[in-house]
Amino acid sequence: MSHSRIRCRLRRTTLSLAGALAFAATTAHAAEVVLVTSAASGIPALTAEEASQLYLGRRTTLSDGTAVTLYDLPGGPTRDRFYELLTGKNPNQIRAYWSRQVFTGRALPPREAKSADDLPTLLSNDGAAIGYLPDGQINPRLRVLLKLP
Amino acid sequence: MKWATIPALAMWALSASASDDLQALTLSGFATLGVVATDKADMRFTRVGIDRPGTERPDTGPDSVLGVQGNLRLGESSSAVVQVVSRENTKGNYAPRPTLAFLSHQVTPELSARAGRLRIPFFMQSDSLNINYAHPWVRPPEEVYGLSPFADLDGIDLLYRVRAGETDIELHPFFGTSRISLYPDTKARLKRVAGANLTLSHGDLSVHLGHAEARLEINWQDPFYTALAPALRDLGRDGIVARMAGNDGTTRFSSAGFQWDDGRWLVIGEYARRQADRYANSAHGWQLTAGHRFGTVMPYMVVARHIQDAAVVDMEDVRSLPPLPGLAELISGFNASRNLAQHSVTAGVRWDVRSNAAMKAEFTRARTDANAWGTFDPSSEAAASRMGGRSINILSLSVDVTF
Repeated sequence: MSHSRIRCRLRRTTLSLAGALAFAATTAHAAEVVLVTSAASGIPALTAEEASQLYLGRRTTLSDGTAVTLYDLPGGPTRDRFYELLTGKNPNQIRAYWSRQVFTGRALPPREAKSADDLPTLLSNDGAAIGYLPDGQINPRLRVLLKLP
Repeated sequence: MKWATIPALAMWALSASASDDLQALTLSGFATLGVVATDKADMRFTRVGIDRPGTERPDTGPDSVLGVQGNLRLGESSSAVVQVVSRENTKGNYAPRPTLAFLSHQVTPELSARAGRLRIPFFMQSDSLNINYAHPWVRPPEEVYGLSPFADLDGIDLLYRVRAGETDIELHPFFGTSRISLYPDTKARLKRVAGANLTLSHGDLSVHLGHAEARLEINWQDPFYTALAPALRDLGRDGIVARMAGNDGTTRFSSAGFQWDDGRWLVIGEYARRQADRYANSAHGWQLTAGHRFGTVMPYMVVARHIQDAAVVDMEDVRSLPPLPGLAELISGFNASRNLAQHSVTAGVRWDVRSNAAMKAEFTRARTDANAWGTFDPSSEAAASRMGGRSINILSLSVDVTF
């Protein structure tokens, strides 16, 4: 491999790095997955820790005791990424973990929305409900509770 | 029969009340189809208190299980759970039985109280013993889990869950009774069970500590006991018989374990101990498992050991008996048939075929202690005298699903 080609590749890497930094700077709040509730809901913004406690079935209520209804998306990349970002567990770990929670009678898993398109309707019908969506799919009926990462 | 009708009624009640609000009822289930074979025709693999030693080779009895569960939400802070499981029992049939049937109430965000039929949580994975999908193995290592054949807890428990810093703490006290049938035709019972488990989870690590005490009743009906009891009474040694079977024993279960799971490496270790002042031996066991995930495939290794601390009938007693032909051998057989002592090395692989389905294959090489039957049952009366000090290869295959 010639020196010029290496330099060329280095320069391209530098450029793309700079581009990524600029992008990150202009979109400081960009996220992959966001935790949402209905715009009319009274649920306050959540910390990653609170959300993780809920989605691991360790809690069924907010810290003030308000019960919440959790929604999952059907199995797929958004769901897998959500759990990975929130709990650090991969899909196989999460499924094994939840099977143990459910079948020892400790907790019930989140309800499953039929699709990401169905979720906003489900959330607007229930002020105590929360769910997650890819960041790009937020509409005015929804309010963001937590951005991941 | 009585117990079989309860889940049917409960399911009916669940579905009837759920017609108002279908969202309130959740049905789910789990299943395993498993086969296990040994390379010794006279030694049949068995799980004490779970299956009936089978003549089939391979045997589908020890690991196959089907469970269906209904969860009913009752308002914001209460729920009812019924779980019915069908698996081969010690009578050799698959009659479904309720394995969970309880009401749960969330007292505070941290505390829930449950009453009814629960799982008896003596060891780290005891309450998920039927849920093979939740474990890396075909079955949790018998060297540890064979220490308690008891499965149900009819009583109450509390789950207190708090977070301190970055550590999740679960304190789980429990109280109740438990009964079980042991092969063949033996009834065993725990009364006044009182215990507590503590689980600490911090990132990828979780640590378990548990202790429980109970009153123990066992009324053996196996050939050793039925031959020995009248013979010992004829010799005026009722004291020995009273230590072999009856309803006046006490027992204690203790365990400590950890699990490390960072998504790539899975390491699980556990030590457990059973002390019994009569009717059962005192023993301890440990296991260490290490696995590594390559995507959906996880090969793993297990080393495990089960050691007897005190036999049911003390050898001092045996020496004090008159030298009647066959008597000492019968007592040794009685003790050995209640001694699971063995060690084993297992190589296995779990493959998560698709979401909610896993296939597993395990190869185990086990060696029974000289005075023990280990996790095996003799295929004939003649075989019963040569169970100790044997090496056995065991192949286990299973498919686990949840739905």
